[in-house]
Amino acid sequence: MFGIDRSSVMAIVRKDLRQYLANPTGYVFLTLFIATTAAAAFMQEGFFARNLADLAELNKLMPAILMFFVPAVTMGAWADERRGGTDEILLTAPVRDAEVVLGKYLGVLGMFTVSLGFSVAHVAVLAYLGDPDPGLMVSTYLGYWLMGALFCAVGLLASMFTTNATVAFILGALGCAGLVFAGSEPWAAGMLGTATLGLLFALGWYVVRSGDVAGAAFAGGLGGVVGLAFWLPSLMPWLHDEEGDNRFIEAFESLAVGDHFASFGEGIVRLSDLVYFVGGAAVLLYLCAFLLGRRHW
Amino acid sequence: MSESDSARPVTIRTETISKSYGDFAALSEVSFQVRKGTVAAFLGVNGAGKSTTMRILTGYLSPSGGRASVLGFDPTDHVQRIELARKLGYLPESGPLYRDMTPAESLQFFVELRKLDGGAKAIDRVVERCAIGSVLHKPIHKLSKGYRQRVGMAQALLHDPEVLILDEPTSGLDPLQIRDVRALIRELGKDKTILLSTHILQEVDAVADEVVMIHDGRIVFTGTTAQLSEGGRGVEARFYELTRGKTAKEVA
Repeated sequence: MFGIDRSSVMAIVRKDLRQYLANPTGYVFLTLFIATTAAAAFMQEGFFARNLADLAELNKLMPAILMFFVPAVTMGAWADERRGGTDEILLTAPVRDAEVVLGKYLGVLGMFTVSLGFSVAHVAVLAYLGDPDPGLMVSTYLGYWLMGALFCAVGLLASMFTTNATVAFILGALGCAGLVFAGSEPWAAGMLGTATLGLLFALGWYVVRSGDVAGAAFAGGLGGVVGLAFWLPSLMPWLHDEEGDNRFIEAFESLAVGDHFASFGEGIVRLSDLVYFVGGAAVLLYLCAFLLGRRHW
Repeated sequence: MSESDSARPVTIRTETISKSYGDFAALSEVSFQVRKGTVAAFLGVNGAGKSTTMRILTGYLSPSGGRASVLGFDPTDHVQRIELARKLGYLPESGPLYRDMTPAESLQFFVELRKLDGGAKAIDRVVERCAIGSVLHKPIHKLSKGYRQRVGMAQALLHDPEVLILDEPTSGLDPLQIRDVRALIRELGKDKTILLSTHILQEVDAVADEVVMIHDGRIVFTGTTAQLSEGGRGVEARFYELTRGKTAKEVA
């Protein structure tokens, strides 16, 4: 499909999954994920007070949990390859950039799916305690998976910008945090908008000037300043509607992951939400393939 | 260069390649060619621009200007790069490998990635040629530098490439390991075109037919090893003259 060679993609997926699962750190993350989601689901007053066999308590905290867990999985995806120099042998093999990106993405998504698979034990707990609605459970887990799939793409993109896995984790977590908090906190939507403008400015400069990293950093900073000017109320009065709300912030509030996940937690699968998650991941993966194709580092 | 040598087709060609990082010019108008069946030493001090040139030739890095071709393929073209990769073996500097894997797993991964028919036979062939049978199932991070370099070489040879680009293949090896690697390169040079970078002058005499010398990102000499040492001054004196005696601008 789209000229993608499945066998090359799967070779990368198998290699990356084997590396995750052969590494004790992978199991530490997995255990932490199960423990954290279990605590978020059941060790809450609301869970027993509501007397309903659902994962409503976990739904509130899942975006924040994934905001840290997914970048921890993705942080080494590119950063480790570049630090170890193995990206040189990978990117000079007869494999298209899109296949490498897809292989890397499916590798981290596979690891996330395995982790999420173990957390299905929470449904067994619900079944033991009560009578959960199977349809609701399926849509809720589909929502978790789609949210993780979007965050995997954010983390993968973040991992491309550095050879340091810790920096990749911080960048990935910040990117996910923007999406998590954009809906509830105007400052987060403003930050997300500022970061997006900065990224667009930097990428634009990077493309026009063929890999001028220093110039791209300056352009990114300039984009950030423009974003701040849009965001700060007194500087751009024409950006405010009749009620005084900032249109710039409102635009980025609509990108908040929580609003798009909420319907899955209620047992409703909306096409617009599916498009948001799948489309968002596709755009970010395209950016990864684009940056890889430029061959400037 | 003899008349028969000049009749051989050009396998590796660079035309006024440049590479800049901001204001820093890593390569300035680098032009040279390597003909089919030649073992060419890419000689220069550390930081001269050897690895950058090789990365451009393999399609890992884009040049800021100029053109490169290997086997007639343009490594900057997305489609041609794939075709080139099928016929090119590359050993990057320091022989990077997936350290958590064993050599057997690593070679199997590249067989799958390259979609090689008869992958088991290809693995057996390179395992024998690079003498890594005794360490095939040990994690790579537990291997000595010499064995890691051999595994890297095995990975580069897996698909029996027509052209080999080897970035400092003897770097960090002990004298016995260096002798083995040089013997392997000489053997491979019988039927392949090889460009190997080095800053070790003895390597040039030991394995190369031709020399391309780079300094400060500029080519300062191309010719045979005999031409490099002509005038009776020896390779070392000539190397010193070209890299220290004159500035790169004066030489160019």
